[in-house]
Formats: sequence, structure tokens, C-alpha cells
Amino acid sequence: MPQLLSDIQLDALRELSNIGSGTAATSLSSLVGMPVDVSVPNAIALPLADAVDRAGPAEAEVTAVALPVFGEFDALVLIVMNQPTVDTVCELLGVPTDDEMAASALGEVGNILGGAYLGALATMLGGTVEPRPPELVRDMLGAILASALLASGEDNLALLLESTLRVNGRECSPSFMFVPSAGGLGDILSRLGLGA
Amino acid sequence: MATEAMVRIGELTASRTPGDVLVSIGLGSCIGLALLDPPMTVAGLAHIMLPASPYTEADSPGKYADLAVPALVAEVERRGARRAHLEAVLVGGARMFSFNSGAGLDIGARNEVATREALADLEIPVRCAATGGTNGRTVRVLVEEAAVFVRESGTEPHELYRSRFALEPRES
Repeated sequence: MPQLLSDIQLDALRELSNIGSGTAATSLSSLVGMPVDVSVPNAIALPLADAVDRAGPAEAEVTAVALPVFGEFDALVLIVMNQPTVDTVCELLGVPTDDEMAASALGEVGNILGGAYLGALATMLGGTVEPRPPELVRDMLGAILASALLASGEDNLALLLESTLRVNGRECSPSFMFVPSAGGLGDILSRLGLGA
Repeated sequence: MATEAMVRIGELTASRTPGDVLVSIGLGSCIGLALLDPPMTVAGLAHIMLPASPYTEADSPGKYADLAVPALVAEVERRGARRAHLEAVLVGGARMFSFNSGAGLDIGARNEVATREALADLEIPVRCAATGGTNGRTVRVLVEEAAVFVRESGTEPHELYRSRFALEPRES
């Protein structure tokens, strides 16, 4: 069923994403010991095919940490990193990129950043969330995103809250994508007092 | 110069133009269904998202396996394909995240099953498939050659299928 969001609702979701990524930026900054900037968040509410197009080149190989969330609102957080970002994160943590340690280090970074992001959201929404263990996927951006959006149970309009962190002076810009489930979105909006 | 026609998620298209290439990029749990009629040089591609439509008539039939298969058959037939010639090739249906697999939620596998069932209903044979696993794929359908190329994430493209009824390849 098509779900149309008002500008006010989109603004509120953008603000939610801003608070989440701001908190994540603080924890990334203390992790790598460098200042971190946050981009203005994007709230993308588009037909699925357009949302996937908007997110970037579909065939680009990226590394993504997926954090499924269950609890009072079901959602999925994806932290998407291109190869330069992966290289920089590994370097800052002192882990060789091609090492097996890299996967577990990146998963842990995703866990910390995702946890910070979700914690802020949960506080804002007045609930608790239980993230499941992070899952590291290295694949085409389009395949990851489309599968994540479909797993959310929405088959028409995709909602994607996107924001990018940037480590000052370094080639390091992990992107956050917050994908609420079809039912989770209604829940989030009504907690913000903006329910239908 | 070959024209690449992008078939995005939920879309379907067909062509009888020699040199045309039908492409779906980044198939994860989605299924890329290629239908080939080599003698008539017609091919079609659907980028299927989900197994079954919640409605009997959807705004875009390409999304759901149960509607996309008959819709794609109609589309290639409209361009001159004959039902008895049709050969199907399936690509995609991966399990990108393991948490999708709980509670019967493996969308990729369900997509493949539903697509095969709909093809069987229309007695269209599946000649070849690159499905399942955990990697995303890109599929290219060469209309004139009645051939299907697949690139799996992190690898080079390779020829998955070429119909033995295909025309001789042209010298380029």
C-alpha cells in the first residue's frame, strides 16, 4: 500500500537521523582520535527503484555492516563504506586491510557506530531497541540496498534516512542508512506525535 | 553500437532489436528472469522483487513473480516471440543477509520457487540458472545472440548461457 509522508513527517525523520548520526560521529571521533563532521541528512521517500538509484551506483562494490533491530520498532541500520573508507578505518585502527582481522574490526566499528546511532534514536523515541549482532556484507551497493529494503516488508515506497560522517582531512566517509520496517515507520511517527 | 536497456527493480522489458542488451544491475534477493526466443531474435528481462502479489492486479506487474512471468511472456509475444520457442534463464535470488533466513523469510529462495512455478504453469523450460548463494549479481541479456552473461560480486562477467538455437555470431 503506498504510504505518503508529509513534509513535516519527513523533516522530523531527517532530524531523527541527524541526532543519531551526530551521536555516532562523537563515538567515531573518540575511536579514531580525530574530528568528525556530519553531513546534512537526506530523507529519501521514493518508489523503491528510484531510492536504490538515488543511493549511488548500483554495481559499486561496497562494504556494509548491517544491524537488524528488533524491539519496540523494527528497523535495519546499514553502515556503508566504500573501499577508501575501509582502508582508512583499518589504518586508523592499525589493522591490515586484507587481514581476517579487518572484517571483525569493521564489524565492531559498525557495531559501535550503529549502537550509538540507535541509542540516540531510542532515547528520542522513548523506547528500547535490541540490535542483533552485526553482519558484514561485501557486495554491490544495489544488491545490498534492494535486499535490505525488501526485507523491511515494504514493496512500494522506500524510506531511507541517509547521512554521511567525514573524518577531517581523511578519505573516510561511512554512510548511515536507516531503514524502518513497514510497520516500524508508523510506530516511529506516532511516537514523534506525527502519526497518521 | 549496442544499446543497453536498464531493467530496474520491479520493471520488465522486451526487445527484438539486434544488438540490444537488457541489463539488471545489482540483483540481490531479486530474480532476473530472461526469456529467449532465439529463432525469432526476441528476448525479455524482468527484475522480480517478491514472490506473490498482494493484489490480483498490481500497478507494476514486474514486481511480483506470479504476475511478472505472464506479463513478460505477453511482452515478448507482442514482439513476435512464439510460446513454443521460449527458453528461460534465472539469475539472482541470493540470501544477502542471514537474518533474512529466519521464520521462512528467505525472500531470494521464495522468489526463485515462485518464478519456477509460474514458468511451469506456462510450460516454459528453465534452461539454466545462477541462483542462491550470498552474492549479488548483474545480468546482461544479448538479444541477437540469445545469450546471458552474469557478473557475480567481486568477479569478472562470464557467459552463463547461450542457446544452441542462437544465430551465428556476427563478425565485429
